[in-house]
Amino acid sequence: MMRCGIASLVAAALLLTSAGRAEDWPQFRGPNATGISTSHDLPVKFSHTDKVLWSADLGPGIACPIVASGRVFATTMSGERTFAVICFDAASGKETWRREFDTGPLPAIMSPNTQASSTPAADDQRVYVYFSTLGMMALDAKDGRLLWKHPIPLPTYLLGWGAAHSPIVYENMVIFNQDDDLAPFLLAIDKYTGKQLWKTERPEMLAGYALPVICRSGDQEDIVVAGSGKLKGYNPENGQERWTCNTLLRTIMTTPVVKDDLIYVSLQSYGDTERVLKYALLQWKDTNQDGRLAKSELNEAFWEKFDRGDANGDGFLIDDEIDAAFQSPTNMVGGGNIVQAIRGGGRGDVTETHVVWNIDNKAPSNISSPLVSDGRVFLVKKGGISASFNADSGEAIWEKKRIRNFGNYYASPIAADGKIYVMGENGFLVVLKDAPKLEILAKNDMGESCVATPAIADGRLFVRTHTKLYCISNAAE
Amino acid sequence: MTVRPNRIVSSFFALLVLLLWEGSDGVSAAGPVVHVVIDQTAPRLERTAADELAAQFKQLVDANVVIGNTAPEDADHVILLGSPATNPAVEAAVGESWPALSDQGLVIKSLPTAGAPRLVVGGGSPVATLWAVYELGYRQGVRYLLRRDVFPDNAQLKLTGFDEVMEPALRTRTWNMTSDLPIGPASWALSDHRRLLGQLAKMKFNRVLLSVDAWQPYVDYAFRGVVRETGVLWYGETYRVDGETPGKTAFGGADVFQNQDLAAAKTYSERVAAGTELVHGLIDAAHELGMGAGLVISPLEFPPEFSKVLTGTMPAAGGHDLAVRPGGGVGPADPILRGLAGTQVKAYLETYPDLDVIYLSASEVPEWAGHIEQAWKALTAGRELNGISLDDFVAADDPNATTAKSQIVVLALLRQLIEEMPAPGDRRHLQWGIAHHDSGFDRTLDRLMPAGVESLHGGGVTARQVWQQRERLPGIPVDKVPSNLALTLADDRVGILSQLATRSIEPLVGDLRRSGWDGFATRCRLLAELDATVHFLSRASFDSTVTARSAHDDLFTTISGKAAVADRLWRGFGHIEEATNLIDENDPQFARPAAGMLLQHYRAEPIPDWWETLTDHYTQAMIELYRSHDATHPRGRPTLFYYAKRSEYVLEYVGSVKAVREAAIAQEAGDVDLAIEKLEVAMESLYNALDTLSDIARDPSDRGLIALLAAHAYRPLLAEYERLLDAAEAD
Repeated sequence: MMRCGIASLVAAALLLTSAGRAEDWPQFRGPNATGISTSHDLPVKFSHTDKVLWSADLGPGIACPIVASGRVFATTMSGERTFAVICFDAASGKETWRREFDTGPLPAIMSPNTQASSTPAADDQRVYVYFSTLGMMALDAKDGRLLWKHPIPLPTYLLGWGAAHSPIVYENMVIFNQDDDLAPFLLAIDKYTGKQLWKTERPEMLAGYALPVICRSGDQEDIVVAGSGKLKGYNPENGQERWTCNTLLRTIMTTPVVKDDLIYVSLQSYGDTERVLKYALLQWKDTNQDGRLAKSELNEAFWEKFDRGDANGDGFLIDDEIDAAFQSPTNMVGGGNIVQAIRGGGRGDVTETHVVWNIDNKAPSNISSPLVSDGRVFLVKKGGISASFNADSGEAIWEKKRIRNFGNYYASPIAADGKIYVMGENGFLVVLKDAPKLEILAKNDMGESCVATPAIADGRLFVRTHTKLYCISNAAE
Repeated sequence: MTVRPNRIVSSFFALLVLLLWEGSDGVSAAGPVVHVVIDQTAPRLERTAADELAAQFKQLVDANVVIGNTAPEDADHVILLGSPATNPAVEAAVGESWPALSDQGLVIKSLPTAGAPRLVVGGGSPVATLWAVYELGYRQGVRYLLRRDVFPDNAQLKLTGFDEVMEPALRTRTWNMTSDLPIGPASWALSDHRRLLGQLAKMKFNRVLLSVDAWQPYVDYAFRGVVRETGVLWYGETYRVDGETPGKTAFGGADVFQNQDLAAAKTYSERVAAGTELVHGLIDAAHELGMGAGLVISPLEFPPEFSKVLTGTMPAAGGHDLAVRPGGGVGPADPILRGLAGTQVKAYLETYPDLDVIYLSASEVPEWAGHIEQAWKALTAGRELNGISLDDFVAADDPNATTAKSQIVVLALLRQLIEEMPAPGDRRHLQWGIAHHDSGFDRTLDRLMPAGVESLHGGGVTARQVWQQRERLPGIPVDKVPSNLALTLADDRVGILSQLATRSIEPLVGDLRRSGWDGFATRCRLLAELDATVHFLSRASFDSTVTARSAHDDLFTTISGKAAVADRLWRGFGHIEEATNLIDENDPQFARPAAGMLLQHYRAEPIPDWWETLTDHYTQAMIELYRSHDATHPRGRPTLFYYAKRSEYVLEYVGSVKAVREAAIAQEAGDVDLAIEKLEVAMESLYNALDTLSDIARDPSDRGLIALLAAHAYRPLLAEYERLLDAAEAD
């Protein structure tokens, strides 16, 4: 027991170390993608002209800014085929370095996705950056020097959304999950050398964008990834699957949040509760609307899968042949509601054993991830409609309450200093009191649209709008 | 022969330009080298044609186009540009086989040669040569849209096998700009106009008309001591896009939506100076592309300050408080009225001496019906009437008799105004025209219209309405009076939702061709989804075999790379056209851009059945447009994405209207909570509508639409919502 306790302490220390300093925000949604910072003295009322400690013109992009060891990293498309990684001094806003890469021809993507959409991850030595046509790269955090480059196959999508996966750093590894419709996988790369440590295929999955998160339960630590229909835990040492929970929906774009040993998931799969793909494919890919899919209606990359599904060999996919072609036979059905808490640390199929609560509710967004803070699960979706649930029981604290800011919500809510920050796509950043009752503290105009989740570090709020990066602080004059 | 010094100078500059071209084009390119031969003294438009050809071939096949007055004997690819009249090389190559062409006819002809391919690209005038170049681009796979060109991938240079001679059946192809609202051309800066004119020239439009209103800042004059002082855009309204304006990201941080060319003008004088500069620029831009430029003015409408000298004025229709017209107390012979109207028309002539066309709009003055006898005498004096009397077409029991009579009275006055205008002197030829809406005197047009004056027939408000009255078109003596038909591509009275009328326009175009009309003048404000309609007009003007469907398929199969996509788009656009007709038939005010446009539906009445049908049509359209977007070649994606997002906006707007009605019904039933909830739904839908528009705002009309909806729909809705919320909280 004592050994376990020591091991847990060591693991916890490692986890903190790997994530950087306590107030760093080293990846998408900060430490372990929780959206929670320990920062204090954060501003409530501000705008793109008020309480701006510094700002910078970045150019278009939707990747989130990250902060590690006093450096802010952001990305942009600085030219039609030029991808840029930029480093700023977090305190002064001085551009420390800029590194540009020729992307080559770019794949088609679906708005609001942009080519520079992947959020980097960083430690105090390096920043790890993914770009669809370039693969994973490690740059020296001090000067932007390219340290290594690891090629990654271009993701391929049936419905053309485009790449938007982001890496995380865990111990000595850069972990990267790429769920596409062709050959999904989870990958671990040695963060020092860029060499592959392990790669686990995820053949049950369809396209999705959940970021891997780390869950420790007892002495077991898992890389947890939400994907089509299933939440899975993997052994960080070798990438082997440890457990699976068959309670999710088909299309997963939100990232789970870990609090203690509970994993919170909120989902919305375009209103679909069924896991099958055929209806969506017949709606959008059957261009001539003859009720069947022809090869010519699909990207050539999927023709092999097409042949696999074309059971009668007539050159068309009809009805169940569509699902047979693109979906795993082991992942066609499953229960699942849309706000769930699942206990980590299992083995095998945990569907019947580890689901703590599981409720049917229309609160979740399909993009914006949940926020777990102070014993509550906070959700916001299109229209600025919010909900809050008891994190222990799933009981609703409030539902369908508007935060008085319409429009889309692609960014996920974040919290610190007793406040919740909710970035609307319309460019207004709403500040709520982190409390059992909805209380709107401020609605701040950031001047232009925003898809990226802001970052918090050292009492500063970093907001990456469509073209700019703002550092908001009470220290600003 | 005496060679004038200025000719030597111009020849020198022409040669210099040619040398510079040759020098600058001498850089290497990966593609083929194409020699374009024009004469040293080629007309400006032919030089423009050469430049355009070079740019297109560069983009098509990465060609290195060398423009000069000769081509090397061993050149691999040679294009001879111009006509025998403008280019000796064409004359030498084609000689007697040059086809008989009108000034608008064009030719693309591969020359039989044993050596390298040689192609003649020319026309019966320099502008026709420019069109021939654009036609060559079209034949190479380039497709022209209202905002951009779409080039094919992997095009091959092809100069052989051409033997094309084209003549337009419709000789006047007019883009008419209605400029009253922020969703229209009044919002466009000159640079925006230039871009659009460039695209229209590629589609062989040859005239641009700007309809101006009495209160706009495009002219200045004084009469009998009264100085004009009204000069504003958009009926003088200011459109805020600050604070929490939905969709404000489209405005780049501006607080107020403005025409960028007039943004700095604060006073009347400054606005008029900026406005006239813009119109001058528009005229110049049209001329640079070989297009005629004209204005449509209403000579019987004036800014209100002139009520000081013209007694008994009344508010002009649609003029808000910014325009007045003569009332019943002032007859058409009133010297002050004639003097004021004449002063206004002269002011336009003097301000814009380069105009090619001026249309006088026949305003409605119903009080003048009693002056019909004098007007009839004046109009018919000295004319052969063939026994037609006034009573023949203004029957006493005709419910429209008053309108018809007053239109004839106005026509007589306009005729007199034209006749009293000073001769143009050494200015270029000025074509007068009269724009009218009433069909009462259609059949006797030749006997009533002033000699040499064109006619622009307004017909119905929408293309569908004109189509319904199409039986009257063959009876109009268009062989005697050059006549153009107004073709409404999208009408503000049908509203700000997506509209299409291609399938109503198609038979009308056939009628125009068969009956020998001079041409057409489009009507629209937003460019919106009109690419296919304008493409059809462009192609059908020159080719009687072109149908709306064939033009559509030609455009979208080329752009998307798939016939199936073109088919789905045809269906999608069909739904939009059905929706357009539904609104036109049931409630032309449904989404008319004006104050109260949304809250007019805030009344406790049953939701009409046709709203459901309307929603179905727009939903199906959205599905087809997104489906098409998903399947299209990347080169077509920007355009199809724009259409798809607009269909999304439309559905949100219609959803907002429905929710507003449901809120009113709930409120009537005493269910305040439900009413508030429905208003929230309405606000969210409207917010999403504007937000969606901001994603794809491509031009000032798109931005103007956001600004207008924010002012006339969103803010009034928000105010009502907050009023209801406060009232509920007070209870």
